[in-house]
Amino acid sequence: MVLPLLIVVLLACAALAGWALWFVVQDRAVILKQLIGAAVVEALIVVQAVVAGVLMVTRDHPVDGPLFWGYVATALVVLPVAAIWAFAERTKWSSVVLAVAALTVGFLDWRLWQIWGAA
Amino acid sequence: MSATTPSAAPGGRRTGSGFGRLLVTVYGILAFAAIGRSSYELATKFSEAPVAYSLSTLSAVVYVLATVALAKGGPRWRVVAWVTVGFEAVGVLAVGTASVASPDVFGETTVWSGFGQGYGYVPLVLPFVGLWWLWRTRPHGRTDDVVTSPPEPTAPTVHTEPPTEPPTEPAAPDPEVR
Repeated sequence: MVLPLLIVVLLACAALAGWALWFVVQDRAVILKQLIGAAVVEALIVVQAVVAGVLMVTRDHPVDGPLFWGYVATALVVLPVAAIWAFAERTKWSSVVLAVAALTVGFLDWRLWQIWGAA
Repeated sequence: MSATTPSAAPGGRRTGSGFGRLLVTVYGILAFAAIGRSSYELATKFSEAPVAYSLSTLSAVVYVLATVALAKGGPRWRVVAWVTVGFEAVGVLAVGTASVASPDVFGETTVWSGFGQGYGYVPLVLPFVGLWWLWRTRPHGRTDDVVTSPPEPTAPTVHTEPPTEPPTEPAAPDPEVR
């Protein structure tokens, strides 16, 4: 993993969560644009995972593989599932769900960074 | 996934709507976390602490069941939800207490060690919120004037089929009736 990419992902998660929380305050449900935002976050995590994989191979970066990829898999699953689950509810609670999911992904990405540095 | 029953059915509200949508989300995240944790432990180091890692697996299964049950929320799933969420409440208190009283008892930490400390105490809070939500959305009576009308039979925790509800599904219990 590389630091700039981590920061980008964390900022993207924070932005998505902030956007969703703003909707909570306004008593609005999740809109399609926010799902596109979630897809962008998702894409960033994929990029990050690819970069990490390449670094593991090319620089022989030591890392607890199963743990790392387990977190990657979890981080990738959370947003799509939460987005579908949130979108089916047409109240402000859908926005709460999206915010929680975005914060969770941010947290998981932070954990990935720790795991990356730990081994 | 929605609209199978009206959200404000006279016989009780759906457990997966409104605030329940958030509850199921948090349950789902915890379920994912528990699955991830237990599969990692089972795959890489089960023999180091079989008790702790078996417990992790058990809790993962329970979280998954609870998530599904709360999301579905029909009469039978509601029973599953009561049982699994109740099990979590007992589990986190029992394992949490045991892990604090004698840290070595499980050999390793579990989701419930230290009352769910490793997960921001979410495993401690969540089952009680879940029980409250199941109670609040229960099929009998109005949710907002619980105290005023006592004709309800005193607090058996599991209501499967209210007589007033149009029977969208056959009642769960009594397989031997006919």
